[in-house]
Amino acid sequence: MDDLNKETHTAIAHYLTALADDELVLAHRDSEWTGHAPILEEDIAFSNIAQDEMGHALLWYNQLSGLTGLDPDRLVFFREASEFRNVQMVELPKGDWAFTILRQYLFDAYELVQLKWLERSPLPILADPAAKIRREEIYHFRHTGAWTQRLGMGTGESNRRMQRALDELWPFAGQLFSRNESTWPLVIAGTIPDPVDQWSEWQTLVVPFLTGSGLKLPGEINSIAAERTHHTDHLSDLLLDLQEVARSDPEASW
Amino acid sequence: MTDSQWPRFEVFLQDREGHSHRNVGTVHASDSELALQNARDVFVRRPSCQSLWVVPATAIYALTKQEIRENAGLSADDSEQQPKNADLDVKSYLVFQKRNQRRTMSYVEYVGRVDAATPGQAMAGAITAFDDPSSTVWWVCPASVVARSTVDDVESMFTPATEKAYRMPQHYRIIQQMLEAKSRLLGKADIEQDA
Repeated sequence: MDDLNKETHTAIAHYLTALADDELVLAHRDSEWTGHAPILEEDIAFSNIAQDEMGHALLWYNQLSGLTGLDPDRLVFFREASEFRNVQMVELPKGDWAFTILRQYLFDAYELVQLKWLERSPLPILADPAAKIRREEIYHFRHTGAWTQRLGMGTGESNRRMQRALDELWPFAGQLFSRNESTWPLVIAGTIPDPVDQWSEWQTLVVPFLTGSGLKLPGEINSIAAERTHHTDHLSDLLLDLQEVARSDPEASW
Repeated sequence: MTDSQWPRFEVFLQDREGHSHRNVGTVHASDSELALQNARDVFVRRPSCQSLWVVPATAIYALTKQEIRENAGLSADDSEQQPKNADLDVKSYLVFQKRNQRRTMSYVEYVGRVDAATPGQAMAGAITAFDDPSSTVWWVCPASVVARSTVDDVESMFTPATEKAYRMPQHYRIIQQMLEAKSRLLGKADIEQDA
């Protein structure tokens, strides 16, 4: 990694930060269901998923730490919202159960498509964690897919809530697949996938499944067009929660 | 039926190749696919697992040794309950037994199969075929109602748990940490005197 030029170094650091921040923020939203999930077994299942996602975040922060020397704890607990590179989809409040399930399903599908590519990246710093994470994501996807089907085709109420969730979430999906100026050199170099290719692969995966689950895809989509560093107010609310304890005594050792 | 719970499924876990599936508890689920997933999330956090089975609780016919003794006339031939000319298909039934009083985290374990046309016949066959004197409980259920994890599932369903050392109590080395904390508080000389 010492022979990387500055531009490539920054690009990889930004890409790793995005991967880690997505997982961290989603893990936090998922963990908000612990003790509140609709059924006891699901409380355990979804807490497991949250814990897995947190583990994935740590894997990516550790890769970032190896590259930049930055300490993961400092990154998580002492950055401001504008320094985070997660997509807006994962910072949205947890909503009702349908919203959480659908958000998780759409994101799990994105991760599977992305990790399948990253497993074969010529950069070991990206490829090594990808294989391990993908094993767990296969299970997440199976779980949220099963729930999406059952809620989509369950009762009138569950279908309505799922449809509302889909209508709310679909405009945020585009941000997962937008090209970024800073990481574009990595696409050219063949070390990360082109988000536009991933977009069509993802749609091939989720669109038939959603329509098969009794849901209608929104017609014209006004995708949010935003850099990953642009966030809704929800992220700063989330960080207040997440960072409160650590910031109350920044010098404490845990 | 006013029960607001989802149907109950009994869960059987095989921790290693060559070991029998053991009943580790139950989960509620809307159907067998979610039952399998819930079983994995509830019961495969720490123990190692090679295979999971789930069976709807209503499909299990269970008898204890005591119940058998109390109903001494248990008949293998309950055909008087069936229509006289019914064409009864012989099906394969799985048999589970409790033989061991010492195991705390599991109940019955899988011991084999019998063929029968009704649960009653299956149970009678099981008691005859698996008559180990230490047996105290017999369960039978049709093989067709069992939902199983597959070999392809192992990598995504079970392997990840084995890599999460932080879920194991041993990971935290509690006793060693306590000794170290104690020695920090009291001074090493005192500990050596105690030891």
